[in-house]
Amino acid sequence: MKRFLALLLSVALAPLAHAFDLDQLAAQLAKPAVVRGPFVQEKHLRALPKPLTSTGQFVLSKDLGLLWQLQTPLQQEYRIDGSGIAKRTPQGWQPVAQQSASAQQNRLFLAVLKGDSSGLRQDFDLRLSGEAGAWTLDLTPRSLMLKQIFSAIQIQGGEQVARIELRETQGDSTVLRLTDSHAESQLSDTDRHAFAD
Amino acid sequence: MLSRIDHWGPRLFTVALLALLAVAAWQWRGGAPISANLLELVPSDTPDLLEQRAEKIVQEPLNRELVVLISFADRQKALSQAAAIGQQWQQEKLFEKVQWDVSYDLAQVRQQVLDNRLALLGAEDRQLLQQDPRAFVERRVQDLFDPFRSQGLIATEQDWLGLGALIEKKLPRAHNVQVDLSGALLAESDGKTWALLRARTRGDAFDGNLPLAVETLVANARTEVQAQGGELLATSGLLYSAHGQRQATREISFMGSVSSIGALLLILVAFRRLRVLVALLPAAVGVLAGLTACVAVFGQIHVLTLVLGASLIGVAIDYPLHLLSKSWTLQPWNSWQALRATFLGLTLGLATNVIGYLALAFTPFPALSQVAIFSSAGLLGSYLCAVCLLPTLLGKGPIVPWAKPYGLATRLLAWRRRLLSRIGTPWLLLIFVLFCVGGVLQLQHKDDLRQWASTPPQLLEQSQAISKIIGFQPTSQFYLVRGKDEEQLLQRQHVLGQRLDALVADGKLKSYLALSQLVAPASEQNSLRASLSAVPANSAALQALGVTPQQVEAEVRQLQALPNRSIEQALAGTFGEPWRTLWLGPTGDGEVAGLVSLQGLSNADLLVAQADGLPGVKLIDRLGQLNRLFAATQISAAELKLASCLLIFALLCLPFGPRGAARVLAVSLLAALASLASLGWLGQPLTLFSLFGLLLVTAIGVDYAIIMRERVGGEATSLLGTLMSALTTWLSFGLLAVSSTPAVSNFGLTITIGLAFSFLLSPWAGEPHSPAHKELAS
Repeated sequence: MKRFLALLLSVALAPLAHAFDLDQLAAQLAKPAVVRGPFVQEKHLRALPKPLTSTGQFVLSKDLGLLWQLQTPLQQEYRIDGSGIAKRTPQGWQPVAQQSASAQQNRLFLAVLKGDSSGLRQDFDLRLSGEAGAWTLDLTPRSLMLKQIFSAIQIQGGEQVARIELRETQGDSTVLRLTDSHAESQLSDTDRHAFAD
Repeated sequence: MLSRIDHWGPRLFTVALLALLAVAAWQWRGGAPISANLLELVPSDTPDLLEQRAEKIVQEPLNRELVVLISFADRQKALSQAAAIGQQWQQEKLFEKVQWDVSYDLAQVRQQVLDNRLALLGAEDRQLLQQDPRAFVERRVQDLFDPFRSQGLIATEQDWLGLGALIEKKLPRAHNVQVDLSGALLAESDGKTWALLRARTRGDAFDGNLPLAVETLVANARTEVQAQGGELLATSGLLYSAHGQRQATREISFMGSVSSIGALLLILVAFRRLRVLVALLPAAVGVLAGLTACVAVFGQIHVLTLVLGASLIGVAIDYPLHLLSKSWTLQPWNSWQALRATFLGLTLGLATNVIGYLALAFTPFPALSQVAIFSSAGLLGSYLCAVCLLPTLLGKGPIVPWAKPYGLATRLLAWRRRLLSRIGTPWLLLIFVLFCVGGVLQLQHKDDLRQWASTPPQLLEQSQAISKIIGFQPTSQFYLVRGKDEEQLLQRQHVLGQRLDALVADGKLKSYLALSQLVAPASEQNSLRASLSAVPANSAALQALGVTPQQVEAEVRQLQALPNRSIEQALAGTFGEPWRTLWLGPTGDGEVAGLVSLQGLSNADLLVAQADGLPGVKLIDRLGQLNRLFAATQISAAELKLASCLLIFALLCLPFGPRGAARVLAVSLLAALASLASLGWLGQPLTLFSLFGLLLVTAIGVDYAIIMRERVGGEATSLLGTLMSALTTWLSFGLLAVSSTPAVSNFGLTITIGLAFSFLLSPWAGEPHSPAHKELAS
């Protein structure tokens, strides 16, 4: 699932242009150098009365990758870059044991970062609807393999991407809210340092 | 008896030949009994059937699997092209399975993990759950919040404690191979994306025409891919085998025809009668007899034997040549009389050659035994043909050879006498000895199974590229682990696994696969089941999320109700696939056995130490065994050499007396020594094959010495006969030297040089001052 989070996040975090054409959308995605903001992630499990909610901050750099800082209910920092996913430990960044399609996830993630929507189109049917101020991008998995995991994925936004929802075939779903993200021209020194380690 | 040979010889031999033809025809009734399996050429010195079975299992993928990588600038194009080729190949009967994507039935894998949760949980996770259930539950809660942790196949409500998620994580990562979101297999390396296509054939690399058929399919696919601007890499034991087969066929036909034509021209030029071409018949009979004997003894004949055996033509033709060469002096020509005069020399020659070849048969290498049997039978066949049938075929007509070569031989002998009158034999010997010492000091010894087959660089490059791209580096070494039951087997593998984990952590081993990674021993399954009772009391962290105590208890009850799983049960389905080949099952002596396979090894010596002190664990290292065997065979080769020399000496004592026998033998031994020294000067390694080449040099060199000592028909005639037979032998062994198989080439080179020296030294076999001209004795 992490691959979708990564990829969807990057789709979502880029400020959207006025166009509803996917190519123009893609071109817009590649624009800002840095996007940052808070996030709220809710995992809705069928069998649980309330969702598993976590919150934190993220920083997305067009060139370097993604920093994901989980703050509640536990503190943990993650990083996705060209070399994969890593977890911050007292000893420094530790690569997370990757499941077999990890490089694949990174490829997709980076493709989206660069505004290359061909990567997404291979595996999903994309449908863009609504207006510039309130749009919805629906992704329907194409391959049998993906269909066994996800029934649908939906990204919604206005000026900024506000919400991502992953609906799993098994009935669970994950909602990611990015309520206050904004573009920046460059990384802070701390963030730059986090990518450099 | 000899006097009547012209009467009974032809009749008896014709009957024998017909019988031989019938046997050969029967042997070839079901196609050519030819093998290209290198492993058949090396001794299997493991009498242990289980080890043999294990080796077969480890070898099998190498001989049946084909890996193809396809790359295009457009990634999607690579995937679709791989799929297209895959679909095309699926129609081929020769493939059992062709795979370019995974379309796991996730529902089935899900169910399998659910049903086997207790048995499949890894050792570390099991330990944590048993020793600190609270920490186990807390870790599970953390994982649930982890945004980058794949939720996995199993819905959380079915897996509150996360056993299923942990088991899923345990699946061995297929090296560098990834599964595309579409299910396609691919690998990435240096910025290139490669689509992966795997195929498994029904037969193996040594099944008749299969390798060639696979090679053609790969070649077609490559043409297609390249035409569209893509790149294709392929590797498989089948491709090496195909190359070997084609190479051998080409070399055999090339060498066979060149040496036959060469011999034919030589005979025509020298004896100037079409009739004398029947002299080629003994060589043909020899090859037939060699083939038949080899198939009779070994059930089949290896291509390497065939290539080496093709050189037999050059030796087998010697018998008629010796006989015919007497026509320079034995005039008027009478075939039967010439035969009677040369009979002793021919017979001694046969005996010494066969002794030399048969010495090879006593080495533990089937490769050399095959050559020995092939050649001994072949020589016997052509000798009998030359002795029994040839004189009749040559008929009564006169043979008047070309006079020029005779003059040349006379001049050569005169030069030699003049040379000897200026520089005495002792001085020449000194120069010779210096040459030998200098060469022998530079000799390097090298033995490697890879020399036994020609490895074309393109195939090798592709194999290396593929193993780099997909990160797959299988090692030929593996561990065989036995136990009195599954429990003990798994425990032993687990202990070995802990030692291997340390190697992996040190970067000395990339990874390994053991059954103990897949399934826990029954005792562990039992104790895990018991420990689960402590979990509900320690599940506060889960309950903070809203999971009810009843939900946790229900899951614990469900887990505790799962029965123990055997190895067999754990291996079933998609999940057990990576481990399936490791299970050998019951051994027949009441034990069970399984393998531990290794990947990416940097130092083979470390492996032996890992099995130290572990009962029932044995490292199987075929290459290491072979190398030790190569070394041991060197010694036995030296002993054989000594034994064959003694035997030849004893044989030669009969006609020549001890002094003469020693002289004859010394000439051929010196030739062998000079050949050895030449290898040193040429920078060629001394291999097992060159060593056996030297054995043959002694045997064949004795031949030349005998002829020069016997001097039937005079010294010049004998020298001419020797020269002619040496020429044909050089032609065939010299051709071996250009073989692309290093071992064959080395063998050919050694013999060619050795025989050159044998020829040069052969005049010293005669007594220096006794003009022992044996004139026609009738």
